[in-house]
This record gives sequence, structure tokens and C-alpha cells, in this order.
Amino acid sequence: MTTEYDPYLFLAVFLGIALVFPLAPLGLARLWAVLYSNNKPGPIKNATYECGLESKGDARVQFRSDYYLYGIVFLIFDVEALFLLPFAVAFTGLPMGAIVAMLVFLLLLVEGLVWAWKKGVLSWT
Amino acid sequence: MSSIDYFQLLKLAGPEAVLALAALAVLAVDLIWMREAPIRQRQGAGAFVSILGCLGAGLCALQMPGFGSFANGMLVIDPLTLLLKGALLVLTVFTVLLSVDRDFTEHVGEFFALILLATVGMMLLVSSEDLLMIFVSLELTSLSLYILTAFQKRSALSAEAALKYFLFGGMAAAFLLFGLSLLYGLSGSTHLGGIAEGLVGKENDPLLIVALAMTVIGFGFKIAVVPFHLWAPDTYQGAPLASAAFVASGSKVASFFVLAKVMMLGFAGVHGDAGWRHLIAGWAPLLAVLALLSMLLGNLVAIVQGNVRRLLAYSAIAHSGYALLGVMSNSGEGMASLVYYTVTYGLTTLGAFGVVALVEERTGSASLSSFAGLGRRSPILGLSMMVFMLSLAGIPPLAGFFGKFYLFVGAIRTGSPNIGLVWLVVVAIAMSAVSLYYYLQVLKQIYVTEESAATVDVTGETNIVTCCAVGALAVLVVLLGCFPNLLVGPVLAATGSAGL
Repeated sequence: MTTEYDPYLFLAVFLGIALVFPLAPLGLARLWAVLYSNNKPGPIKNATYECGLESKGDARVQFRSDYYLYGIVFLIFDVEALFLLPFAVAFTGLPMGAIVAMLVFLLLLVEGLVWAWKKGVLSWT
Repeated sequence: MSSIDYFQLLKLAGPEAVLALAALAVLAVDLIWMREAPIRQRQGAGAFVSILGCLGAGLCALQMPGFGSFANGMLVIDPLTLLLKGALLVLTVFTVLLSVDRDFTEHVGEFFALILLATVGMMLLVSSEDLLMIFVSLELTSLSLYILTAFQKRSALSAEAALKYFLFGGMAAAFLLFGLSLLYGLSGSTHLGGIAEGLVGKENDPLLIVALAMTVIGFGFKIAVVPFHLWAPDTYQGAPLASAAFVASGSKVASFFVLAKVMMLGFAGVHGDAGWRHLIAGWAPLLAVLALLSMLLGNLVAIVQGNVRRLLAYSAIAHSGYALLGVMSNSGEGMASLVYYTVTYGLTTLGAFGVVALVEERTGSASLSSFAGLGRRSPILGLSMMVFMLSLAGIPPLAGFFGKFYLFVGAIRTGSPNIGLVWLVVVAIAMSAVSLYYYLQVLKQIYVTEESAATVDVTGETNIVTCCAVGALAVLVVLLGCFPNLLVGPVLAATGSAGL
């Protein structure tokens, strides 16, 4: 007997497994708690974390906006490194045009840095 | 490993490369030599370098071979895209002229550099037939325009306008990207021609409908058609003048062209039909609904506007509705009429914004009443505004009349078996008559209403550069209206040779 191949059947099976996999241990733990352990709350048990410090104050504090400019300038060079590494690895096998293109890319980033520098972004005042 | 011929790329993308270099040069000139100079001089220098860059790019485009294609349609050069690039460069030059001697920012170099970068994005947009490249260049254009909108840092309106534009634009880009990814999944190609081939036999796929709707939503935002128009009035009102004018002209031309290309080439097999009582599912009925809503809402809401910038925004929405007729024609003639219409509309609206700028500087507001007595105060400005308003309304012998005429004829001739798109053309003509009312309201203020205390000159100086630009634009609008063949001839030759 041959059954027709249905690509969506896999999805249904995966969906079932994805539901059972987390729900089964959670249900078992719940069952265990109901059957064998009694409820004894205390200040330590009710704490947010079992270790570490209790947090104080508001999480919404003000940052210096200069920080974001630093972050953005850093991001540029982070991305640059991402492209530079494969470029360096494949360097010996690259044609002339590719190297010129890469240098143009670097030039654009350098121009960005020079611009930020000249604009005074990098000095905290 | 397939290697890319970078020198061929540099040759085909020459105009864009020149413009990008000019953008860097503007930044460098402003930062290195002009730092201590007064702001007017810095603007003059920035504008000078920008215009030089545009001229250089134009010369570079003239040197191009007639046809060329790079990396399977990533960059396509043919007479039509070259013509569009030329038109975009002209619009950019006028935008640059409108931003000279205008006191809205101290970051002069950045402003001009962003205008040039947005132009690079638009030029790449019109010359690409690949979904990836279209999306990337659309984002380059949009991101530059968001920043340009926010450039007037001292004004809260400008920030509000930019935020609205940005949030709507981000949503629209997400929709567009989703639609394009579905399209790729369905057809297995990112090239517009390949997509059309891949879609054969899948006309009734529900995924295709979703992809089509998402794509139309994404582009619908860029061209500001109802119901994706909500950003337009606030952006036009709050943005610095040159930015608003650029959003209204250059970006419209490029977006309409790429929309028409995606629909006519990419969705070639699913055109459907929007004829009266002859609806067939496809992109034509979808666009017909958008066009109908835009024409009705744009024109009717424009009537009650008291601010000329907002009035121009609603009139832009209405004009997007008319221009969609050209896309729906789905033929070379439709494309030619669309190009003529959007380019002349861009020139006209740039001119109208120029007049608004001068009035705003004089009186401090762009409300209708601040135009009172302009015809007596400065006859040339009044006359220019009359040319622009009547052209937008579609009165012969101005460019707007011929543009509309050509669009409507193209739509009527489209190959439907019954009376085709005539019903939509009838609505468009009726709505043009409505639009005449609010354009004449502006002219009534200029020529009939007496000058009041509120419109008395507060600055006492006139911006010569803007005046000259406005005058030149008015002459262009009259010229293109009287001799439409100046533009239609080359456009028709180009569409013919591009095989549309």
C-alpha cells in the first residue's frame, strides 16, 4: 500500500511533538506538587530570585545621549569587521575588481568616522 | 565561483557613482573648508557642489551605451531608464535650488549629501529589474527622505512629520518585503521577467493573492494612495520646504515608475481586468479601487484645507489616483503617459512649493489667507502660482492638461472588450472639475482678496535663487504643455525600444 506524500503532515507531527514536549514535564511537576508537597510560603521562597541582590529603584534611568552616538559608531566598525574577515581569508584569490570594491567600502566607512570626528561626536563635553 | 566584472559595473552605474562621490564631496567641503563661514555661504557652496555633481552625473548618463544589463537585471540600462534618470536629476537640481538661502538648519553639508544620496537611490530604483535591488534602493531613498523630513530640528512639527513618515514607511517596507518574499517563493526568481515566467499556471494560487496585496500595500504607501495616505498631509506640512518638495516630486516619479514596472513585467500574467461589470481578479481591479478612493477622498478633502501645504498634499493624493490609470493601461502607451504625467507633475509641484516657500518666509505661515494680494505684491510670483495651480487642475495649454489627456486616452484605449476603464476615466474627469474649485480658491486669494495686515512683508528681502527657480519651472510647465512632443517624443521612442 502506498500513501501519498504530504508535506504538511510533517508540520502537523512537529506541532504535536512541540506541544507535548514542554507540556508533559510541566504537567508532571504540577501533579507531583498537588499529590506530595504541601504549600509552605516564606519570605525567602517568595523572593524574585533565589540568589543575587534585591533590585532597588526604578529601571528607567537616564543615559547620556552621547552614549548612543558612541554605540552607533561602534556598530559601524563591528559590521566592518564582519566583512573584513572573509575578505582577508580570501584575499589571495580575489580579482582586482573585488579588491577595488572592498577598498571603496572601507573608504566609505573611514569617511563616516572622519565625519563623526569632525562633528565632535567623539568628545564628551 | 562566478566572478563579477566590477569595471563593467562601474561603467553602467557611472551616474550613480558620480552622484555618490558628489555627496561625499559636499560633506567634505562643508566640514573642512566652510566650517567657520556664515550659513548662507555654506549653503551656496553645498548647492554649487551638488549641482555640479548632478551635471556630472547627467553628462555621464549621456555617454552611456544605449543598452546594457548587469548581473541578470540587477542594473538595466536602456533609453527609458536613462530618460528617467535625467528627469530625476533635473528635479534634484531644482530641489537643491529651493533649499538655498533658507534658514532651517546648521547642518548644511549633511542636508545636501542626503538629497544626493536619495537621488542615487531613486536612480538605482528606476534602473533595476530585480526584487532585491528594488528593495535596497527603495530603502536607501526612504531612509534619506525620513532624515530630510526631520531636518528642521527647532520645529516640533518637523519631528512629528518625520516620525509619522518613518513609522508608516517602516510598516510599509515590512509589508513590501513580505510580499516580495512570497513572490520569490512562488516563482523561484527575483528577476521580474523570471517571476512572470514562474507564475504561469499559478494564477489562482491563494499565496499569489497575498503576495500581490502585500506588494501593492508597500508601493501604495510610497505613492500615497488612499488608504495608505495618512502620512502625506503631516509630512508635507511639517517637513522643511525643500524636503517636502522632494518627497512630492522625485520620490513620486521613481516610485510610480517602479510600481508600473513590477506590475507590468513581474505580474504580467495576472493583470485581470477592471472594466465596468467585467471584473476579473488580478492587479488591475486592486489598483482601480485604490485609484477611485484616492481621487474621491483626495479631491473632496482638499476643498476644506486652509493650509496650502496640506492642500498640495491632498492634491498629490488625488494626482496619484489619476496616475494609477496609466499603470492600469498596461501597455507601452500607458507607460509613456505615466512618465510624462509624473515628470510634469513633479515639476509643477516643485514650483508650487517654491512659491509657498517665498510666501512663508514673508508672512510666517502657509495658510490660504497669507497668499492674499500676492498678485499685486509680486506679479511674477502670482503669475507663476497661477500657472502651477491651473496646470495641476488640468487647464490647457499647460502641461497638466496634456498629461491628464494622454493618461485618459491611454486608459480608454486599453484592450478591454467592453467599455473598459471608461467608468474610472469619467470619475477622474468629474473629480478634476471638483479640484478646479480649490485650486481657484488659492488664485482667488492671490488676485481678488485685498492685502491685509497679516500679509505685510516682515523680512523685506526676497530670495533671488528661489524666485529664479520658480520662474524657470513656470516656463518649463508652459513649454511642456504647448509642445508636449519635447518630452513625449523621446519617451515614446524609449518605451518602444525598451519593448514595452
